[in-house]
Amino acid sequence: MKPRPATLVTGLTILGLFVLIALLAPVIAPYDPIFQDAAARLQPPSFVHLFGTDNFGRDILSRVLHGARIDLQIALIGVAFPFVIGTVIGALAGFFGGLVDAILMRLIDIILAFPFLVLMLSIIAILGPGLTSFYIAMALVGWVSYARLIRAQILVLKNSDYAMAAVSLGFSRMRILFRHLLPNAVAGSLVFSMSDAVLVLLSGAAISYLGLGVQPPLAEWGVMVAEGQSFVTQAWWITLFPGLSIVVLAFGFSMVGDALGELMGVNE
Amino acid sequence: MTDAPLQLSIRDLTVTVEEKTGARTLLDRVSLDLAKGEVLGLVGESGSGKSLFCRALVGLLPSQSLRLAQGTVLLDGEDIAKASPEALQAIRGARIGMIFQNPTSHLDPVMRIGDQIVEGVAFHQGLNRMEAKAAALEIMRQVGFTDPPRQFGNYAHEFSGGMRQRAMIAIALACNPEILIADEPTTALDVTIQAQILDLLLDLRKTRGLSIILITHDLGVVAQTCDRIAVMRHGRLIEIGEKRTILKNPREDYTRTLIASHPSMPAETAPAAALTQEPSTIKLRPLVEIDDLHVRFPVGGGLLSRRKTFSAVGGVSLQILPGETVGIVGESGSGKSTLARAMLGLTPLSDGHVTFDGHSLSLKRAETLKALRSQAAMVFQDPYNSLNPRLTIGETLSEVLRVQKKVPDAAIPARVEALLDLVELDRSFAGRKPRSLSGGQCQRAGIARALAVEPRLIVADECIAALDVTIQAQIVALLRKLVSTMDLTLVFIAHDLAVVRALCQRVVVMHHGRIVEEGPSETVFANPREAYTAALIAAIPDFDPDRPLSGRSLPLPPLKGQPA
Repeated sequence: MKPRPATLVTGLTILGLFVLIALLAPVIAPYDPIFQDAAARLQPPSFVHLFGTDNFGRDILSRVLHGARIDLQIALIGVAFPFVIGTVIGALAGFFGGLVDAILMRLIDIILAFPFLVLMLSIIAILGPGLTSFYIAMALVGWVSYARLIRAQILVLKNSDYAMAAVSLGFSRMRILFRHLLPNAVAGSLVFSMSDAVLVLLSGAAISYLGLGVQPPLAEWGVMVAEGQSFVTQAWWITLFPGLSIVVLAFGFSMVGDALGELMGVNE
Repeated sequence: MTDAPLQLSIRDLTVTVEEKTGARTLLDRVSLDLAKGEVLGLVGESGSGKSLFCRALVGLLPSQSLRLAQGTVLLDGEDIAKASPEALQAIRGARIGMIFQNPTSHLDPVMRIGDQIVEGVAFHQGLNRMEAKAAALEIMRQVGFTDPPRQFGNYAHEFSGGMRQRAMIAIALACNPEILIADEPTTALDVTIQAQILDLLLDLRKTRGLSIILITHDLGVVAQTCDRIAVMRHGRLIEIGEKRTILKNPREDYTRTLIASHPSMPAETAPAAALTQEPSTIKLRPLVEIDDLHVRFPVGGGLLSRRKTFSAVGGVSLQILPGETVGIVGESGSGKSTLARAMLGLTPLSDGHVTFDGHSLSLKRAETLKALRSQAAMVFQDPYNSLNPRLTIGETLSEVLRVQKKVPDAAIPARVEALLDLVELDRSFAGRKPRSLSGGQCQRAGIARALAVEPRLIVADECIAALDVTIQAQIVALLRKLVSTMDLTLVFIAHDLAVVRALCQRVVVMHHGRIVEEGPSETVFANPREAYTAALIAAIPDFDPDRPLSGRSLPLPPLKGQPA
């Protein structure tokens, strides 16, 4: 398969644009995102307020721009921890097999037996609402997919001739696992992490929507959608713009994931 | 046969591929004729375009970017090169049947063998179910199924490689074709099975008047079966002619190289004998000593059923002296690879002893493994899979040197270059990754990696089986040079007896996990004691067309893999 640079370029452009927005939010936002202007409540989009205002009179555009900071952070941290934890656990389980593998795999089965959101909600409920709780819950639940992916890869690769060759050349087990097998196994996870970022983003939004993640008045797209829902019939702009931002960012991640998959030959 | 009417006449067949830089020619004006009932051998190394040629004939170009640029294919006088896809579909199968190298991937795994044959019979001959089944059973009998009514209901995975290839042939015959294109039909098979399949093809030619195009890289196979030989290289047909003429007086240099690389040739000059130093008379402590070795693997079994074991090696005793070159031969499944791995401590021993340089693997495991890892190395069958695809050749070699600590760190880059010189690879290869190398170059890198250990023992497991014949000859020559200059002990595992005869002083024949015969190569090949060895040797397709393939006249082991 040939790489399709167009997909990669589009995806990276979208992600880059969001990063830029997140970095420059304080500079480019026309208003303070939490400043309430009682005189300008529920204003439709106009030249004064490009995306309109919400029921507290806050400027939607400014809140969407500031929201990019939090939502990108959610995607990044929400993927990074599960990725690292899952990769290490999966690699060890696949490589050493036996009892270690059996115990870890049953643990994964147990975690997978619960619906994802229910498990997330229970953990956050125990820890108390907030972003930190969300990250911890994500790390506790999200690693299973990475662990399974890596384990399956390692199981295949450890029977490859070059693994056998490495053993016969006197390489230590840690060297074989981390220098020879893992770099060859990780491509699939990297691709998956991109589509996972979309998932994390949406569950972050969902958790905030339920009031367990980011707390008002902080601007986060999920919270904004939640706040706007009671006004959907009169003021569609409150929910539309943050919702659209989630969709476009998710689209960017999934484009990059697709392109990476083709570049690394994961689908072959 | 050549005065028989022409069945297929191909003129100037040209296939091009569309690339960004323009069209590249893959097949360059290939012209040849096939007479009725003729067997034409098409030889050439991989990439020479021989498979592409046969696919192009029936309109099965493997990619959208390939195009039949020009040329005519006359089938009984009718040009099918420009026929519509529908017309070609009617021709494929019905008039031109094809069989392939790897029957496993060309058989439907979830459909009974019999039904796959019936499908062809019913579709192309328009018979009803009962008649089709009767016809299918008859075809199965013709291609050598011993109990067609029972085997009719078996699936592909229940058969051995040889039986699967018979099934493929049966499916091709089901449509009653006039021409059979066989693309490396025996390459994946053991020699004895290969002989049976080739016999079968010749039989079918006789009984059904089939014309056959046999694609192969093995000149021995061609010498045994074909009437005429066509040699292809770089997409061109460079030589075609009567079999004996080509084998005796090749016109082209390339054909001469191909013939010279055939392993049965150097054996006649017996270079291996020159190396023989009568090991038995020299009192030496064996480097490797194997005593009543058993290796068993668990198979199947579940929670309720008892675990069963499969015995891969059952009671092998063998001594290998320092400086010796020992060949281990046998069919696939005979346990030769398992023996090699057990020898290097790469697979657990179930019973018995392996001693390396005085250290016993079962008594002092850690100490022996340490000795093995620093004094023994392995060369693998698949050169691409045995090198880490992410590391360059230089990185691979220097890592071994760093881990082995036999060379000071500062001297590693120089040592890497010395290793590349040793295996006759250009020094620039240090910066390249395995994927950008050819099979032969990659295998040289694999040998360099083994040499980086500065081993006393090298175990080469089928290390040339995946390579073209000309490359095989080069690698064998390299191994021979290394053994004679470097004081190496070489255990060379192969199913190709001709190569073993040319390279090894001593040969060990394995069958079903046991050693059935061993001795100096010359003796074993000249006077095999065991019927099994004799059958193995007789099944090697000899280069001399006048010495017939005698796979059938000797007591062969029963056909394997028929479901019990």
